[in-house]
Amino acid sequence: MAVEALPRSPRTNPFTRIGATILDVLQVLGEATSLFFAAVRSISAAPPDRQRMVVQMVRVGTDTLWIGALLSLFVGMVLVVQAAEQVRDVTQDILGPIVGLAMTKELGPVLMAFLLAGRAGSAMAAELGSMTVYDEINALRTMDIDPVRFLVVPRFLAATIALPVLILYADFIGVWGGAAVVALDPAITIPVNTYFDRMLEWVHFSDFVVGMLKGTIFGMVASIVPCTFGLRTRGGTEGIATSTTAAVVWSFILILVFDFLIVRITFALD
Amino acid sequence: MAEPAEKRRGIGVELTGLRKIYNGQAVLRGVDLVVEAGELLAIVGQSGTGKSVLLRQIIGLEHPDAGRITVGGIELARYRATPPEEKPFRVAMVFQNAALLASLTVAENVGLRLRERGHQNAAEIAAITRRVLEQVELAGTETKLPSELSGGMRKRVAIARALAIDPELILYDEPTADLDPILTEQIGQLIARIRDARGTTQIVVTHNLSLARAIADRIAVLAEGRIAECVTPAELPHARHPLTREFLRASALEA
Repeated sequence: MAVEALPRSPRTNPFTRIGATILDVLQVLGEATSLFFAAVRSISAAPPDRQRMVVQMVRVGTDTLWIGALLSLFVGMVLVVQAAEQVRDVTQDILGPIVGLAMTKELGPVLMAFLLAGRAGSAMAAELGSMTVYDEINALRTMDIDPVRFLVVPRFLAATIALPVLILYADFIGVWGGAAVVALDPAITIPVNTYFDRMLEWVHFSDFVVGMLKGTIFGMVASIVPCTFGLRTRGGTEGIATSTTAAVVWSFILILVFDFLIVRITFALD
Repeated sequence: MAEPAEKRRGIGVELTGLRKIYNGQAVLRGVDLVVEAGELLAIVGQSGTGKSVLLRQIIGLEHPDAGRITVGGIELARYRATPPEEKPFRVAMVFQNAALLASLTVAENVGLRLRERGHQNAAEIAAITRRVLEQVELAGTETKLPSELSGGMRKRVAIARALAIDPELILYDEPTADLDPILTEQIGQLIARIRDARGTTQIVVTHNLSLARAIADRIAVLAEGRIAECVTPAELPHARHPLTREFLRASALEA
């Protein structure tokens, strides 16, 4: 029996697929930008509900605190071991500055932002996605309650305020993780005092400011992106899973894009 | 049952030539319907014929592609654009799956609209919450979370949440879906009591013809995107539309 060829779906054309993907990307970026401005407008129009914000901050904290500590500790330790090997023939005096600068300016902000996006951000996307699919968002709308003000603003503020604090916490633990290796690893010949002295010489207040600036912006990204995906969820349980995964992947990508932009701009300003 | 004049406070709803198309497929093909103030109208139809879509147009969650909706004599778009505190009347909707906020207790769900948009203080909100929960026979559940309630209880909490804002119009989307016959009857009685006691206009979307016959003042049959027939329960046995006849036959078999 002859089998007739099925008509090709418009999306099987590679040019159509590329075009559709570009449009999807632009739509997500547009929706996220629009949600960001809606949240900012809502905050400027009236003070946000502090109780709901505190609840979200506690959630962000409990989601990230312990695993963040573990992550930073080992990153600090690995940095020292790795760098010590690389600079063995030069001087190990620079181990302190390496750990201090890497943690405050780059690894602390990026790692904690990834952690926040992966843990708290995915929870935000799943929760809002579930609320969208099961008509809870529509129920709010029918009650004249703005979902942005009620749901997005507390999460946005909680992540934006909490992330810089979490970064300071990660910096502290990472630096002490490095110090522990300096103190205990026989392959490292410098004393712990030298590690800290050199670090204090090289790491300036402005480096912390860059880290905090990154934390603030990454916090916005790691909350607005998951909320955007949560609110655009369609199609039941499968849709919630898809939105949650997409929210985390998009958050990671946008955090790195903003990281690059901030580094480039701060270097240009120096 | 004769209602005191002051309790008759429903509003009329008028739909004219309502059309809605999804992905090139016409779901509503020109719905014309008038719901009188204080009336309890049931809209019946097969699954997927656009009954819920129709409710979403009336509450303003979706916009029709063509046609006109007026609630209480006001164009829906103008009503939706009016700030909540200036709205001349209130409209509430009870969703098919109750749509209670999972992280809030029963009392917080019921008092949500009052807390967020109302002018009442905490004691007044608590009193209203207690009163409407008593009306739906759920007194004492204030501190429970929705996950601790049965499906029927969740539906009644959703009705209590609607009643808390003292609405002039309540829309129900399949209020008895997934409920056993006893719970279905209880919900039906509750909806009828609201009509009798408050005179609120109510539109109930359902595919349960027995429920519609038991409680509604009129029954509108939605078929092929239009209101095929609109009859009183007494006129129903003499209905002429094939879908209505089919519903009646299936309903008799169920009974």
